[in-house]
Amino acid sequence: MTTTSPSSTRGARARADWNAIATIVGRDMRAVRRSKAIVLPMVFVPTVLLVLMPIGIGIIARNAPTSQVQSALGSSLLSGLAGPILDLPERERLVVLILGYLLSPLLLVIPLMVSAVLAADAFAGEKERRTLEVVLHLPISDRDLFVAKVLTAFLPAVALTWVGSLIYGLVCNLIAWPVTGRLFLPFTQFAVMVLWIAPAVALLALGLLVIVSSRAKTTQEANQLGGAVILPLIFVAAAQTSALMLLPTPGVLAVGALIWVVALVLVWVNGRRFTRDRLAASG
Amino acid sequence: MTAAIETEGLTRGFKSGLAVDGLTMRLEPGQVLALLGPNGAGKTTTVRLLDGVLLPHAGRSLVLGHDPATEGDAVRRRTGVLTENAGLDDRLTSRENLLYVARLRGFDKAAAARRVDELLERFGMIDRADDLTGGFSTGQRKRVALARALLHDPELLFLDEPTSGLDPAGTRDVIALIDELAAEGRTVVLATHFLGEAGRLADRMAVLHRGRLRAFGAPDELAAQMWTSVGAEIDLGGVADATTAAALALVPGVRSAEAHGDGVRLVLDDREVLPRVVAVAVSRGLPVFGAATRRPTLEDVYFAIERRIAEEEGELGTDGFVDRTDDPGHTPMPRPDAGAEGWVS
Repeated sequence: MTTTSPSSTRGARARADWNAIATIVGRDMRAVRRSKAIVLPMVFVPTVLLVLMPIGIGIIARNAPTSQVQSALGSSLLSGLAGPILDLPERERLVVLILGYLLSPLLLVIPLMVSAVLAADAFAGEKERRTLEVVLHLPISDRDLFVAKVLTAFLPAVALTWVGSLIYGLVCNLIAWPVTGRLFLPFTQFAVMVLWIAPAVALLALGLLVIVSSRAKTTQEANQLGGAVILPLIFVAAAQTSALMLLPTPGVLAVGALIWVVALVLVWVNGRRFTRDRLAASG
Repeated sequence: MTAAIETEGLTRGFKSGLAVDGLTMRLEPGQVLALLGPNGAGKTTTVRLLDGVLLPHAGRSLVLGHDPATEGDAVRRRTGVLTENAGLDDRLTSRENLLYVARLRGFDKAAAARRVDELLERFGMIDRADDLTGGFSTGQRKRVALARALLHDPELLFLDEPTSGLDPAGTRDVIALIDELAAEGRTVVLATHFLGEAGRLADRMAVLHRGRLRAFGAPDELAAQMWTSVGAEIDLGGVADATTAAALALVPGVRSAEAHGDGVRLVLDDREVLPRVVAVAVSRGLPVFGAATRRPTLEDVYFAIERRIAEEEGELGTDGFVDRTDDPGHTPMPRPDAGAEGWVS
């Protein structure tokens, strides 16, 4: 017999076993739904960000004087971007500016947070519960296992973001209705952010966090390591997306495409590096 | 005939050092192998290597004709594994835990449901099928985990510490079950440091120490290679005095005799010497309630090997023995003869 090198383990690239992937995703989602430690933050944070904050801030904005919005947005720096706001009737400007442009980017915190929580549970959680060893002894390829774990976090992150966006739109339109008398959400950039950028952001977080989770021994360790990666992203998202919302639609689409490319490259690279050998050795 | 397991120079290291070092062995189909050794000896790593979960850094292995390093899925389709911790997801019911694995093993929904119920029934867990496993006792968890390992009727079973954490009744049940599985002709690798269960089940034993295979073979063969003498006890119904022991030691073929418990403990050249010893005892007017030679158990063999390893590595205690037997009534076998074969250095 001859010595085997680890690189030979991949062998021919077999087709993905979607039945196996769906089984793992289904089981993980069922287990997650029964875990209060995971479900509570996924309900609490969106409720605060997408319901309570827009209600409170929206009511204040709705009743605040709007005369200074024109001068604030009319500066040379913003005048080119702020056209959509300045074109509105004066009494709508503040509430639309705040709810539609300044607060709505917080939606992107949802895919980041949900991805982070579920990615931490994906591998580190399994190690902690001592269920990972069982999975590693099953006849499922390394790639299919990786894809399943990515989807287990990606699908709920996107679904929750989309449901949250619907609720946010409903709340904002209701709050602003006395002033606007119309549905101001969704406008094009908002829709692009929700449908195009949010999934990319979720995947970007996963590209970073699945590997962190696979190396960490406990969920807490994964969350701590993941926090170091995700928190800067949250700050960047919060800081930059307000301006993003003021870009013309092709610009927003282009930014989204860029995030998708980075996210897909990260996932692909990490998927190539992912092996059950590394996973088992790190446990 | 294709071996169930064949390894050659199998080696795997971690940052902390070599966990398995040059493992070479062969196990035929239908045999039960006791993989023995203290904690950290490399038993679990060996199981992981043989099931293609870990990759070897050197050497190779064939399991059921497949190389686990390159054909891991092919191996895992035909093997079943009971991990040391049952590995059940506490957030799922026992039925859900099993259905999940059944589906990953290729059962369609209806077949998976049938098979899961069949096994839960067999393991006496059907009444708890829809309960979350988080509330189960260790024994119940083991039973569900064993059912899971058998879902696909595997040809080769890896059982890692199958009785750890079980009460005596649970241990008895699990051992009976493993016995049953072995009787069905399955190959079983039993990684354990509970020697009693291994002794009852194994027809091959491998002793690992710090990742190295230190002995491999049938327990009887290893014992025969390690001891040319035979242990025996004569029950005299009371403590024997030194004079009696000395008299019995003079019988031709008796290597040593010492008073012990209710009689005398002897080391004989062979079992044919025992009737002569009994005759001498009777001729001296001693009441002989019983006399029996004692075949070395797997436990004896194991501790003799451990003792030899300790002698080699200078780890002996002050009395020259490393005796890890907890049972105060345990009768130690004679010290093994020097230069015994079956020894893997």
